[in-house]
Amino acid sequence: MELPYVVVIILFYLGIYTIIMNKNLIKIVVGVNIVESSLILLLILISFKLGGTAPILDRKYELVVDPIPQALALTAIVIGGSLIAVMLALVIKIYKRYGTLNVDEIRKLRG
Amino acid sequence: MESAVWIILLPLLTAFFLGIFKLYSDKLFYSLVIVSMVIYLYLLILVINDSYPPKVYSIGNWGLLGINLMVDSFSAMFLLIIAILFITVIIFSLNYIKVNKHKFIILTYVMIAGIAGMVLTADLFNLYVFLEVSSMSSYALTAIKKTDKSIESSFKYLIMSTFGSFFILLATILTYYLTGTLNMAEISLEFKSVPFMIKSTIMFFFIFGYGIKIGLVPLHAWMPDSYEASPIPYNVLSSGLVMKSAIYALIRLLYVIFGVEFLTESGILNIGVFWGVLTFIIAHTLAYQQSNLNRLLGYSSIAQIGYITIGLFLGNEKGLIGGSFHILNHGIMKGTLFLVLGIFYYSLKADEIEDIQGLGYKFPVLSFTFVVAALAIVGLPPFNGFISKWLIIEAAIEAGFFYAAFFILVGTFLSLTYYLKVIIKLYTKTEKKTLIEKPDLSLKLPTFFLGSLCILFGIVPSLPLSLINNIPKFLLNNSEYIRILLGG
Repeated sequence: MELPYVVVIILFYLGIYTIIMNKNLIKIVVGVNIVESSLILLLILISFKLGGTAPILDRKYELVVDPIPQALALTAIVIGGSLIAVMLALVIKIYKRYGTLNVDEIRKLRG
Repeated sequence: MESAVWIILLPLLTAFFLGIFKLYSDKLFYSLVIVSMVIYLYLLILVINDSYPPKVYSIGNWGLLGINLMVDSFSAMFLLIIAILFITVIIFSLNYIKVNKHKFIILTYVMIAGIAGMVLTADLFNLYVFLEVSSMSSYALTAIKKTDKSIESSFKYLIMSTFGSFFILLATILTYYLTGTLNMAEISLEFKSVPFMIKSTIMFFFIFGYGIKIGLVPLHAWMPDSYEASPIPYNVLSSGLVMKSAIYALIRLLYVIFGVEFLTESGILNIGVFWGVLTFIIAHTLAYQQSNLNRLLGYSSIAQIGYITIGLFLGNEKGLIGGSFHILNHGIMKGTLFLVLGIFYYSLKADEIEDIQGLGYKFPVLSFTFVVAALAIVGLPPFNGFISKWLIIEAAIEAGFFYAAFFILVGTFLSLTYYLKVIIKLYTKTEKKTLIEKPDLSLKLPTFFLGSLCILFGIVPSLPLSLINNIPKFLLNNSEYIRILLGG
């Protein structure tokens, strides 16, 4: 039961590490995706029960999984998908203008 | 009873139909923009009027299982800012925006829907969804000018803001895991039995996540870039609504879910006040070095967020009143400054400090409005910024944070230096400049409207304060809020 949580934590930090340390825009987008997936996995994990069925209102099924996190996971997937779409659109624009994906070479603005 | 629901639904529906009408005729498009704006204003006034005592709107009669909207004085105050800024910005941008005008208006409607949802909701996950709706349209609005800078700054904004969203989502999931509910009132009751360390960790995630969206100082790097690159009507909304809705959500979560006793116990109030002081000192110093006016105003926005943070984190009644009043005032003052700047840019393509030299003689009334708003934001009487700043200082002394009160005075002088620099430049004589385009009344009228509000709220502060005075009742004592939400 502990192992899936360890996987979630590893994925989360891996994604954060990818976003912070990489210079390549596409790899940053991939990092965002990894963190997003780890959070969705966490949502599914907290509702998981061994042997549970779908939440149908019926006396026959005693052990059902919690439906709310699954609904949240769906919403989170939709948000994540649109986020990646906006991000990739911007990456395409940047690549067309600068001809490179390296963060260090596309600095017109100063912090 | 349905009017609060329509505050979220109307802008979304309008945005949808605007997208269809755009394909057929311009006339239909603009008439829908105007009609929907007027109806929206009416709805907002209806709900603001009805905000005390707080009302709960439960959608679809699902009770506590369903989605609940709650209107109390804090959200009513925020709806007031939406009403003021939304109307002015839409009227201003009808003539101002040249590139992608239809898309700009549609995205603004979507963003307003997201912000209104954040303000009204009493459900933790809905808060996250609406936050994403408003941020997602903000990214697009930042990039809408399609210049190199705007696309680059939009990407920077996107990455940093997404980083914050992860932590907010993580904290939301952990909260659900611990309490088994998403309703804020039920979470607050369940949280009483959660161990101290776990609660503090969740609170840290929330503060870090929202801190990026608010732009507290080490996390602010995206903000000045986005101000420099995005169209000016969006800057008004960004400084007035997008940043403020994030700080609204943070304060709502901290005071309602965690409760003021836990905040005092965990020492986060001290950290918040210190963070606020740090934020405005650094932001003022950086603002002084800027030559681009948009960046200067951007850093000034970050500094004002510092004052607001101090006020809201003091944890006493006066601080909450002062902080909330400063949210309202800053929206109006910064809106005025940006709109005047927008007219300068529209007629002369001026956005560096050097470019506005001598414009005080060319646009006497506009420049006067700029000076009024600049003095208000510095915090001089008799303008509105003075009153809210004064309330924050008084609250800081009352709560025993003497260093905060002292540094607010220091910050006032710092901001006076760079705003004086701009004002002096405005009134320095120079050779005649030729206008590229003459600003017409639809640009000037919203500007004067906001400028006159600066003076009105300064002379008659009881007008907004009668609404704001009720805010601490439901934030400082969260049992009242919980009772109403559960009883609804």
